[in-house]
Amino acid sequence: MGPYLLKRLLLVIPALWLIASLVFLLSKLMPGTYGSQQLQQSDAGYYSKGDPESREKAFRQYLRKTGQDLPLFYFSVTSLPEPDTLHLIYPETERLFLKRMAWLYGDWTLVSAFYSSLQQLEGSLTATERKSIQPHMHALYQHTRSEQLSSAVDSIASTLAASTDPLRRLQASTHTLLDTREEYAYVLPDFRWHGPDNQYHHWMRHLFEGELGTSYRDGRPVVALLVEAIGNTWWLMFISMGLATLISLELAMLMVRRHGRIWRRSVLPALFFLDSIPLFVLAMLLLVLLASPAFLQLFPVYGMGYYTEVSLSWLQAMNQWLLFMALPMVCLVLANLPYLTNQFYHALAGTASQDYTRTARAKGLSESGVIRRHMLRNALLPIITLLSDFLPALVAGAVIIETIFAIPGIGRLLIDSVMARDYPVMVGIVVLVALFKLLAHLLSDLLYALADPRIRHTAA
Amino acid sequence: MRRLMETIGTLFKAKLAFRLALLYLSVLVLLVVALPWLPLPFLPNELDLSKVFAPPFHWEHYAANRPFHWLGTDALGRDVLVNIVYGARTALMISLPVMLLATGLGLFMGSSAGLFGNHKLRISNARLLLLLPSLVAMAYYTLYVPFQLALLKADMSAYILPTILAFAIPGVLLFIGAPMLMRWDSLKKTTPFPFDHIVLRLIETLTSIPKLIFILVLAAFAPPSLLLLSALLVLTFWTGPARLARGEMLRIKELPYFEAAISSGVTQWQLIWRHAMPNLLAPVAVSFVFGLAALLMIESTLSFLNIGVSTELVSWGRMISGIRANTAAWWLVAFPGAFLSLTVLALQTCSYYLLQASQEKR
Amino acid sequence: MKKLKAAIPLLFLLLSFCNQPERQPDEIRIRLAADISSLNPVSYSELEALQIINLLYNSLLTTDLADNTLKPGLASSMPQVERNDSLTLFTYQIREEAEWANGSPVTGADVAFTLKVLKAPFINNENLSPQVEFIRDIVLNKSNPRQFTVVCTGYTPEMELLTGDFFILPAYLLDPEGLFAGIALPSLADSSIVLRNKGRIQSLADRLNRMGSPGSTELLSGSAGYTLERWAKGQYVTVKRKDNWWGNTTGADGRHLAANPARISFQVIPENTTALLALKNRQLDVLDNIPVTEFVQLNQDKVFLKDYELFSPQGFSLVYAGLNTRTPKLKDKRTRQAIAHLLDVENLIKATQQSYATPTVGPIPPSVKKFYHQNLAPYTFSEQKAMALLKSAGWIKEQNGWFRQLNGKKEQLTLEIIYIAGNTVYEQSALIFQQHAAKAGIPVTVQALESNYFNQKINGRDFDMFFRGISGNPFVFNFKPLFHSTYAGPGGFNTTGFGTPESDALLDAINTAETEADKARLLKKLQAILHEEAAFVSLYYRKEKLAIHRRFSNTKVSGLSPYYDVSSFMLKK
Repeated sequence: MGPYLLKRLLLVIPALWLIASLVFLLSKLMPGTYGSQQLQQSDAGYYSKGDPESREKAFRQYLRKTGQDLPLFYFSVTSLPEPDTLHLIYPETERLFLKRMAWLYGDWTLVSAFYSSLQQLEGSLTATERKSIQPHMHALYQHTRSEQLSSAVDSIASTLAASTDPLRRLQASTHTLLDTREEYAYVLPDFRWHGPDNQYHHWMRHLFEGELGTSYRDGRPVVALLVEAIGNTWWLMFISMGLATLISLELAMLMVRRHGRIWRRSVLPALFFLDSIPLFVLAMLLLVLLASPAFLQLFPVYGMGYYTEVSLSWLQAMNQWLLFMALPMVCLVLANLPYLTNQFYHALAGTASQDYTRTARAKGLSESGVIRRHMLRNALLPIITLLSDFLPALVAGAVIIETIFAIPGIGRLLIDSVMARDYPVMVGIVVLVALFKLLAHLLSDLLYALADPRIRHTAA
Repeated sequence: MRRLMETIGTLFKAKLAFRLALLYLSVLVLLVVALPWLPLPFLPNELDLSKVFAPPFHWEHYAANRPFHWLGTDALGRDVLVNIVYGARTALMISLPVMLLATGLGLFMGSSAGLFGNHKLRISNARLLLLLPSLVAMAYYTLYVPFQLALLKADMSAYILPTILAFAIPGVLLFIGAPMLMRWDSLKKTTPFPFDHIVLRLIETLTSIPKLIFILVLAAFAPPSLLLLSALLVLTFWTGPARLARGEMLRIKELPYFEAAISSGVTQWQLIWRHAMPNLLAPVAVSFVFGLAALLMIESTLSFLNIGVSTELVSWGRMISGIRANTAAWWLVAFPGAFLSLTVLALQTCSYYLLQASQEKR
Repeated sequence: MKKLKAAIPLLFLLLSFCNQPERQPDEIRIRLAADISSLNPVSYSELEALQIINLLYNSLLTTDLADNTLKPGLASSMPQVERNDSLTLFTYQIREEAEWANGSPVTGADVAFTLKVLKAPFINNENLSPQVEFIRDIVLNKSNPRQFTVVCTGYTPEMELLTGDFFILPAYLLDPEGLFAGIALPSLADSSIVLRNKGRIQSLADRLNRMGSPGSTELLSGSAGYTLERWAKGQYVTVKRKDNWWGNTTGADGRHLAANPARISFQVIPENTTALLALKNRQLDVLDNIPVTEFVQLNQDKVFLKDYELFSPQGFSLVYAGLNTRTPKLKDKRTRQAIAHLLDVENLIKATQQSYATPTVGPIPPSVKKFYHQNLAPYTFSEQKAMALLKSAGWIKEQNGWFRQLNGKKEQLTLEIIYIAGNTVYEQSALIFQQHAAKAGIPVTVQALESNYFNQKINGRDFDMFFRGISGNPFVFNFKPLFHSTYAGPGGFNTTGFGTPESDALLDAINTAETEADKARLLKKLQAILHEEAAFVSLYYRKEKLAIHRRFSNTKVSGLSPYYDVSSFMLKK
């Protein structure tokens, strides 16, 4: 058993590394960064709070400060026509346009020549002229097919009437661009080496030092944020999971009795009905019924307790905690009950027709004795699988419950961090959940081996 | 197939609950099929701003020969009844296939992982060598290039060449390149392919990353239409059935008759079909029905978290999420919720009796 | 087992009879819609934090919500303005009474320190530094430490407001070594000087960046009437009134500065429905942003109205539709006018705001009577007018829509409306417009987008039409960023691409107008042009909807955010 356990534990590390890397890279693929979101939030208003250039400058300074301007990985595989200096171009919309041009026409030098002639032309125009060619410029910036480009340039030329130097240069560069276009150059991959000064490397190094980084939003270590959030929901999740498991096991055992038909008839449909209520509706329903003056006002509506000047004794504190957590707990139990009960019931029912059950019955054991001693034991495997699936939920939190009852747990943290593009927190949560998941799988395999010794050989 | 029909026939005669459930499901399917010819007074997305949040069963407003909102309306005066009927169509056309696909994929992956383990499947060194470049090429042409093209809003024609290459390059490498390499003895040898490991790692990875992250990442790129969501759910949901199937396979493989059957010339797939599947059916059916209910609800849950799903798609979830604008409008939850419960219940009842019948037969 | 099962409900029942925690009547509980990540007055990132920081720190000028005017805060009077050709000078005098928590006076040196913090490198000031970009230098009065002059580049009307808008930080507490006192403001932009002091600036920056995060609140101390008492991250923030605060001793001209409630507790409740239930449950004293259907229902709830008073002040948030004038199909203003005629503002208001909104012709709020153009009429819903306008713009009605020849190709008039996902008001507006447009023969697709993605599309000018809100105010009207054509490039604030040479000249003239009458005339002209061009279609100004417990008076309810002045609340006798 020892070497097997060690081997499995060692296998957890590469799996964790794989998941963490995947999520890190995946999250970085998302458009938008924390800074840009913040700077854009304050745009609307009846006077300017800073012009676009100074905001742009502040934003780039921010990216440099947080190391987000570095390449993402050791190497990159991009399409051939894309230049490696593209990520230095700001603003992002301009970058996207240039990228599209590069993909469409396949030659970066020609594209950049075209772009500089375009900028020269724009710079040479008066405000009226610029206004007159605005739709054509728009068409040019949005074009996706080469014939749209030539028609846009032609329209610009005909609108401007007088042929100036910059205009002629634009037309010339457009022609060379169109004539020497390499249409499918983008299917060719291009491999580029960036060296160890990249975001992934720095992140990995910190991770090995046991650091998950600091949150972009409040500058606190991610670990502290995670510990705080888990601390808020740990007991809530633990108790409600435990209750749900206990209740569903009991229910399943009631239903599997030979005379349990009445239970089967009534409980199963009720559970399916319960399951088809969305969780947020269920939570609101409970709130309206049990925490509002319209019906029964038994529980507080939200939160985990109020600020009090004097510190509470542990009994009072627990009392308060239970009072506040009662409704979320009921919600969680009700939400998990249907699925668990059904799976348990089917696992137990599967053993009902087996030989050992019949033998046990023939021996004259009582009904509950048969169920508890024989059937439950033999239905252990699927039950273990199910329960190990639930273990990570202890740290993964429950977004909807947390949102409705205003409990600052991990689920809420996840949503907030994704919405704000707070990557360190987001990756930290996934790594944590993954760790629990892997440990749960390990645990379930171990329990498998304990429950059914035959499996041990193959699994190892 | 004929046996199944016979079973259904006997059950239909014997069990009242089964009869009711089957009748309900057939009526629902019939309704969905006949939808274009039904004389419905409203369209599902038709607004009626003069009757916003109209409560149901308000007979006093009923004027003869005028269209009437039997089950009330939502925040924009859309008719609840019509939306329920059209929502049934969405449920049947999108949610059901998605669940079937995910379950099928999971059963296949799980049972083969359990069956082959890490040693049974052998692959020649030449193929193994070429597998890596093929996978890289596949990823480049099926993931990176189309993704970038979508970001750059390229023309449809731009996708053709990458798609061809995505299949051509691995094909050439594995089926023409590999036999050529087999001239060398060292490359001709076979090594075991750790199929079980790969499937397990894949399951671990997929289940470790919360589904919500996938959905949020998706929403950051493109508005999450139900179709995109469904694709995502197929890719993440198969892990459940796969784990169940793998566990079951591991158990069966140790049974004495398995070895005996193999030596008597029965193929492995026949064995799986005959011995593993019946045991698997019950848990898989349960998770199928529950998954379906979750899928039907996912839209309302997402909109609760302010992640917008396309507003133009008619569904039960969309209507239920309307309750947030007005908590007094109970009919927005009650009616679609009741239909949802009924559908799930009917599916469950059918599967329950069918499973029971198949277990009795054994 | 059975006994255990019976015990659980009993336990709950028992618990429920335990009294809920007592609280003092002059403790106010207010809902926060989002969790706060930082209370740092320089780098806070949520708007919700602003309300709390306002209770801890003062700025030079402040808005008195009683009459929605700008009044001196830390300053004893409004600044003296002096305009040279390329510079503008604002001279401020700080109140005699003003002092920090340790009793030392607030001086011009503190203001200079704050400006340096806002502009220094290594400090997380990216959100605020663009706002003070125009401030070039600060000159302290050697003889009078409370007097100083802010030197600004150029002139815009909002400068006065912005020079008084940032929170003043205590130099004695944050920079005890006096590092910044030795570096002049302009030299912070000089890289050689910064490089010489890099280590010291960096360590000061680390201190300042840490300040105000939930772990380190000990440095959070300002000149305003409250101190932070307890911050349970994600749950609540409680502030406590200072004993003998200086602001309560100011005379008549400082009456708008107040710190009345002994304790204010901000409760984080992300979900609207929960907050409403908490209000009905008497767990909250103040709730703003109440959804309109709920507000109407509360208004009929007699039991609720016994304890709470409902307010619906006219707000300054404008909801508008933006049309992309750069796209060839929307280039013609007649096409845009046709769309404006299909917007049906009356029904939009009825469906999404019930009666809690005021239609408007342009971006000037109708409540600002001296500038609002009364003689213009908002676009009314009319299918005939829209069709006629489309015809005159060269569109030809065919069986399945409107078509036009453009560059030898047949083009159909179709629209895609985008809005930020999760906003039901915009969603419903878009759907209503879609129905009207469909009747007129214009196929419209409606697309909800995640906010980052939405901003990206808007900044890339990759859209036809969008619904959006913008927060206005009654004192400063500088529409240059919104409507001037120099801001129309990618990333600029002029998202619709509106702008003619005439309107550009007009916008410049508004900012330099000497008299109110001149300004009113020019602003009215601008409204007329905006109305005519129909690129930025102003729809309505929303009324704010909030509830406040009846035990409070002097609530100063206003249409300006945060819609009430919690520090002035007084208990009714």
